[in-house]
Amino acid sequence: MTQRLLISVIALTVLATGLLCYGLWRETVEPSATPIAGFSAPFVFGRFTIPEDNALTEESFALGRHLFYDPILSGSDQVACATCHEQQLAFTDGQARRVGLSGEPLAFSSMSLVNLLWGQRRFFWNGRSTSLEEQALLPIQDPEEMNQDLDSLIEELSASARYRELFARAYGEVSAENIAKALATFMRMLISSDSKYDQFLRGEVKLSALEEHGRKLFMAHPDVKVSLRGANCIDCHSQFLTSGFRDALDGFSNNGLDDEAGLPEGLQAVTGDPAHRGLFKVPTLRNIAVTAPYMHDGRFATLEEVMDHYNHGIKVSETLSPLISEADNSIEEGDRPVGLHLSEDEVQAVIAFLHTLTDKTFLSDPKLANPFDGKN
Amino acid sequence: MQKLKEKQANILTVVLALVIAILPLQNNAQSQDVREESHAMVLLRGLPTLDTSHSVAIVELDPESPDFGTIISEFEQPDMEHPLHHLYYSPTGRLYATGLDPVCSLAEIGLARDASGAPTVTGVNCLDTQGQMVGEDIMWHAANGNDYMFVTFMGGLGGTDGGSVGVFDPQSNGVIKVIEARRSQVGEGMPYIMYPHGISAYQDRMVVSSTIHPDLASGVGNAITVIDLNSLEPIENIVTEKENPIDLPSSPVEVLFARPSIDPNIEPAVMVNTMLGFETWKIPYDQETKTFGSPEVIYSGVENETGVPLEFYGNETELFISHALPGVVKRYKLSELPDLVSSGPDIIADPGAHHMIFLTSKSGRDLIAVQNNLLNLGNGADNDPTDVDFIAKLNAHTITVHDLQTGERLASVNFKERYDKGVENIEGLFGSGFVHHH
Repeated sequence: MTQRLLISVIALTVLATGLLCYGLWRETVEPSATPIAGFSAPFVFGRFTIPEDNALTEESFALGRHLFYDPILSGSDQVACATCHEQQLAFTDGQARRVGLSGEPLAFSSMSLVNLLWGQRRFFWNGRSTSLEEQALLPIQDPEEMNQDLDSLIEELSASARYRELFARAYGEVSAENIAKALATFMRMLISSDSKYDQFLRGEVKLSALEEHGRKLFMAHPDVKVSLRGANCIDCHSQFLTSGFRDALDGFSNNGLDDEAGLPEGLQAVTGDPAHRGLFKVPTLRNIAVTAPYMHDGRFATLEEVMDHYNHGIKVSETLSPLISEADNSIEEGDRPVGLHLSEDEVQAVIAFLHTLTDKTFLSDPKLANPFDGKN
Repeated sequence: MQKLKEKQANILTVVLALVIAILPLQNNAQSQDVREESHAMVLLRGLPTLDTSHSVAIVELDPESPDFGTIISEFEQPDMEHPLHHLYYSPTGRLYATGLDPVCSLAEIGLARDASGAPTVTGVNCLDTQGQMVGEDIMWHAANGNDYMFVTFMGGLGGTDGGSVGVFDPQSNGVIKVIEARRSQVGEGMPYIMYPHGISAYQDRMVVSSTIHPDLASGVGNAITVIDLNSLEPIENIVTEKENPIDLPSSPVEVLFARPSIDPNIEPAVMVNTMLGFETWKIPYDQETKTFGSPEVIYSGVENETGVPLEFYGNETELFISHALPGVVKRYKLSELPDLVSSGPDIIADPGAHHMIFLTSKSGRDLIAVQNNLLNLGNGADNDPTDVDFIAKLNAHTITVHDLQTGERLASVNFKERYDKGVENIEGLFGSGFVHHH
């Protein structure tokens, strides 16, 4: 009897051990932190930092890519991150403000997701998140966007053998924290650095005369004293990334879209500081030609409309950026609209340069595409 | 029962061992916040008697950092007989270096970022200069609606009165023209180019200096050459020579075309440092008539007990001039140029004070780092075959870091002692202030 009991105990123990090992293998053995193969980014984009507990790895990228394209992330199982962030539109959706689940338009347009390793460290148009990991979970839970309960999502993902394995390889357990980390990794890897402008910066191509004229205007703050004409873009959009600046809240600006009476809260909603009223995140201009409509509320349908705004449509308010209010190419004085007062040829040159920021490689890179699509 | 307990214990041990063995691996922390504002790009010269290679390196220069003086990354050039000489960032962010080795008188340096965000040197691409040798300074300037990269080659195409200015396509790096005018060939009184080193331009006039033959023995210049950027031809020489403190021609080295784009108060003029005349000169320029006035000494090294003035560097408000002897950087109000009006105390560096960068410390302190080597040649005490007595005394092999406001020396790193190398040139990782023309 004792011997039989002993054999039974041993057998059960071996079985339990096997199951435990298998379970642990599924959940924890595989995280191997494989560095992203062949990672290289342009030097001129500047230093970037990655959270110590969320290294860029092939495993986290693979998981993040699956999650990004999977509607399982929404309460209805019908809305994925990619629904509002389409690769061919530089991860925007082509809409001014998408209609939310209640039938009302969302507060903001979908921001382009590109080169998020660099630039301003606050995310969303009003800067309400301070990390990509934090940002990643908010649309999932937003009742107007994906309306998903995180506990339910974890249950759904845990029920999937594929996701259990993807999580096991990347992080270990299925958790909200690891969902956020994986999505953040995928977004960090959305690097656009092969536009015509990038090729120009590397010395591989020349810009056309019109594009080069536009580039020089883009990079110049106008100074009539020394006959320097400029489109003033660089005061807010940095030279290489064309995004807002990283330091403090420099990457936010009131660019004169609304007058005092109509000025929305913007960054003030986050900081509570009245000086931040009407300030919104300065977006990247990379792939701008494919990310219409423009501005935080998508009010401008074309780049021509955007340039019209900066040229003679600036609305004055208390928090209007002085970099914008003081930028004028005209020496005429008097009661005139605030704006750049560029010539039509100059406007067209700036637009031509903006088109050089389109990165077709990025927009069609299969590594960033929907993994559930048979082609990818 | 005891045996059962032992067996259970053994099984438990095995299970525990298994569990421990398969504990999830920790993700490696990839990067923390790293300040690059205090990182310098340096060109290092391997010293022949110390068996070291030339290299391009990135160095931490924040005295507040525990890594002060540490080489963060380095790209060795074991096959180069002579090192790269001077780094320049182009307006579009490409990194170039002139070089002293005839096989690499001009190069583009590849830079990228790895998965931790750290900068890495990916390679050195030596460019075709069509035979022009010993690259010195680079300047990007537009003329007649065209953008050019101009490079002075002190050795030019060779010979005892050689020297050329290479005109390059700034995108393709291809040679557009070699501007050469040998004194022995142009005829008496005609404009020549010889041993060109410094370069600067304003509107359609460019100036280059005539310094010294690269072998330091075949000849020494005493003038600058004015080049018409419409024709890309030399049109005039202007002699800048007065005192001869070491009985040699003045050897104009760096030039700066002071102009309103540097500060709106500036009346255009060419400023010239004479390496062996120990002086700084100004040559007024009338942009209406496109004529230069009489050259005038505005700083005398003999009177001020300094020698070998070398570089012009600037930030938003000040101009800095390095004097290799005794190793000092003097500072002037930018708005008062081309006159030299002191803006603060001298920065006492080391013998050989030469190139410099502006940077900030972690606490936000404004700093200046000075590279203290004239030519990085070896010292006779090391039985170094490159020893030149006069110059060896001007090779401290250090980078000294000072408070920009007060000039107080905060830290120093000796590259010869620490790395068995000399430091040939220094540049901010992202550029720093303006150097020479830029």
